[in-house]
Amino acid sequence: MKKIIVNDLKYKYPLAQTLALKGLSFSVEAGEFIGIVGENLSGKSTLCQALVGLVPHFFKGAYGGSVVVSGIEVATSEIAELALKVGLVFQNPFTQVTGSKLTVYEEIAFGLENVGIDREEMKDQIDQALHLLDIYKFKDRNPFDLSGGQMQRMAIAGIIAMRPEILVLDEPTSQLDPQGAEEVFKAIQKLSKEGMTVIMVEHKMEKIAQYSDRVMLLHQGEIIDFDTPGKVFSRADLMGYGVNAPIFTQICKGLGAQNQTNALYPVTLDEAYAAVVKTGHE
Amino acid sequence: MNNIIVKELHFSYPIGGEIIKGMNLSFGNEPTAIVGQNGAGKTTFVKLLKGLLLPTDGEIIICGHNTKNITAAELAKYIGLVFQNPNDQIFKNKVLDEVMYGPRNIGQNEAEARQNSLEALEWVGLSSKIKDNPYDLSLSERKLVTIASIIAMNTKIVIFDEPTIAQDYASKQKIKSIIQRLQKKGTLVLTIIHDMDFVAEAFERVIVFTQGQVLLDGNKQTVYGETELLEKAYLEQPHVTQLCKKLGWSDIFLTVEEFLRYNK
Amino acid sequence: MKSLSLFVEKDTTIHRMNPISKIIYVFAAIVIPMLIGNHASALLVALLSFMLLLWAQVFRKVIPLMGFSILILFSIVVIQGMYKEGNHTPLFTLGSIVFYQEGIWFSAEICLQVLNMLEAFSLLVLTTKPPDLIESLVSKGLSPKFGYVLSSVLQIIPQMATTMETIIDAQRSRGMKMEGNLLTRIRAFFPLIGPVVMTSLISVKERTMALEVRCFTSKRKKTFLNVQQVTLQDKIFQGIMAICVAGSLLWRFVR
Repeated sequence: MKKIIVNDLKYKYPLAQTLALKGLSFSVEAGEFIGIVGENLSGKSTLCQALVGLVPHFFKGAYGGSVVVSGIEVATSEIAELALKVGLVFQNPFTQVTGSKLTVYEEIAFGLENVGIDREEMKDQIDQALHLLDIYKFKDRNPFDLSGGQMQRMAIAGIIAMRPEILVLDEPTSQLDPQGAEEVFKAIQKLSKEGMTVIMVEHKMEKIAQYSDRVMLLHQGEIIDFDTPGKVFSRADLMGYGVNAPIFTQICKGLGAQNQTNALYPVTLDEAYAAVVKTGHE
Repeated sequence: MNNIIVKELHFSYPIGGEIIKGMNLSFGNEPTAIVGQNGAGKTTFVKLLKGLLLPTDGEIIICGHNTKNITAAELAKYIGLVFQNPNDQIFKNKVLDEVMYGPRNIGQNEAEARQNSLEALEWVGLSSKIKDNPYDLSLSERKLVTIASIIAMNTKIVIFDEPTIAQDYASKQKIKSIIQRLQKKGTLVLTIIHDMDFVAEAFERVIVFTQGQVLLDGNKQTVYGETELLEKAYLEQPHVTQLCKKLGWSDIFLTVEEFLRYNK
Repeated sequence: MKSLSLFVEKDTTIHRMNPISKIIYVFAAIVIPMLIGNHASALLVALLSFMLLLWAQVFRKVIPLMGFSILILFSIVVIQGMYKEGNHTPLFTLGSIVFYQEGIWFSAEICLQVLNMLEAFSLLVLTTKPPDLIESLVSKGLSPKFGYVLSSVLQIIPQMATTMETIIDAQRSRGMKMEGNLLTRIRAFFPLIGPVVMTSLISVKERTMALEVRCFTSKRKKTFLNVQQVTLQDKIFQGIMAICVAGSLLWRFVR
């Protein structure tokens, strides 16, 4: 079942000279984990915004083509309605805190209150979200008292409490320390295993390779490639698109050490280990 | 000649526990990365070096000056700090004016400041944008403006606070080459950073902070070989090192280039 | 300081009362003495508020607020006592200065009204959490967007203070002088305005987007996690207040 269908999506921000997205077409199946990579200004954030309706409803601008998420056409639906199907987590943990609530528990209720969820149901959904993100122990703390990683997990909890089917994350760990980043990746992986369709933009290639079913390479608003991590990162022309392969892949390319199983270059630590051992470089 | 001497450094905020619990360090000319979890004291340490905070006990000597005896504004002649978020510092409406602000403050005359600023902007590759409004530039370019504004001050020491956050591959390479160029000029380059791969490529000495104390201090080979201690500090080794460890090698390699050089 | 609020954490009957009841009390405490128009009613209400503040165990927090206004009120008393138009009955003298009865009497009325307002507002503010107060207003029809702005401002302003510190550090670290004479300190202000405004604008934009994807602009009817209880006590209390206000209105027109 296709959760996301994008057809010839074109978009230009109001004061911009050029198109941010130049005709994207792709689809995503339910439960897939998609990694999006590309240099700065390649259109990654714009694509995230287009999946939840911020483009075009919040930013206005010139919009063409279509985006359909969970069967709903984005261009003709309100952001508030789309948010029940697809959630978006931003880079900065601080600006995702509403600031109007005094406890983490109430903070997560914010979205549910806005859509008129019944009180008892609300409490169930909040509890579930808190446990899934492993922040139940913080439920009575002030949101601003949390560390960066905890705050970002709270932001994710606030989104998934609304039970979307798709979760989009735009560089969720850029501003976190390694421990915070690790906490967030673990949480995202858990959600994915529970069946959530995940779209994640990241610069940490090793993580993208580790978690993604497929990787989308964007460059100047166009899709250059959309395939398994092995296929995308094995390309020889990545640097031309402003992207470097995961470190493990770089090493193996240098050694000419490919996976035995698929004649592609390794993209994870385990694959690299196996390939290096195979070529006898012990 | 020691550029920075840190003696028995202790620091506590008026409210809250002790943040820095007794550090002794000295810095010569080796480019050094300070790593550690958030909350370990890295940012506080850098503020103390810059004279923005004063030690509760112990002392810090920057290029021969005790930070207790001179103001932060005076110290800015010797030690520059590139803040993490360029939006926290940019306020002029022309790039060149923004870069000239620091040099003028520390006593360079108009001509000197202009010359140094133009040179600094050339270093970061923004010579064509000197008349632009900084807020018309992309976030990456604004970051380069703040880097240029510190380079133009010609300080003996330059500290980078998280230079690679949210930067893509090309920007990181640019920052790496700026650090190398500064080093060639004789500047002591320090950084607070989380990106271990970048440290492996661009720095020599690594100091690991944990809970207000120095856990490890040495050249990057030694420090990154200490797997257990790094785990304790919630830090990862560079990815290349992780592969070496898994392969059971006794030699530690830190970068792709090193790995390939010794194994082809 | 995480949140700008005067709320004092205690568990008293007043704390547990519905915020709307307390708002009605503030309204009644101000309006009733004005309608009845004599010193006795103002004094009575002030005394009542005083006792409620004691009951809520928050009187101590009112003292600093009162201290400040007492200074102002004192000067009003002095000036009116000496110079009010229509002063002709001396009450007492201090050296060569005469204080007149009419002036003192008049200023006493002002003092009592101010005292009333202060005490009633304090009762509301010291015993009610701002989000609870705002939520009850929203449930009665206040625009949820406006309500959000009010309640978020209290926590976001202290956060901005932290950003402000970082900006000051960034400029000091480029040689901006902060110590010195007044002119230096004033000049230090200018490199701060730009970044403070820009970071605030950027934060606002990011926060607005985050709110949008949390259905902030949803047209559906809102529900509330924390239901402000409207107990029998509240209903009786509100009823009594309504009767008192109506009574005073009647008194006013009958007199």
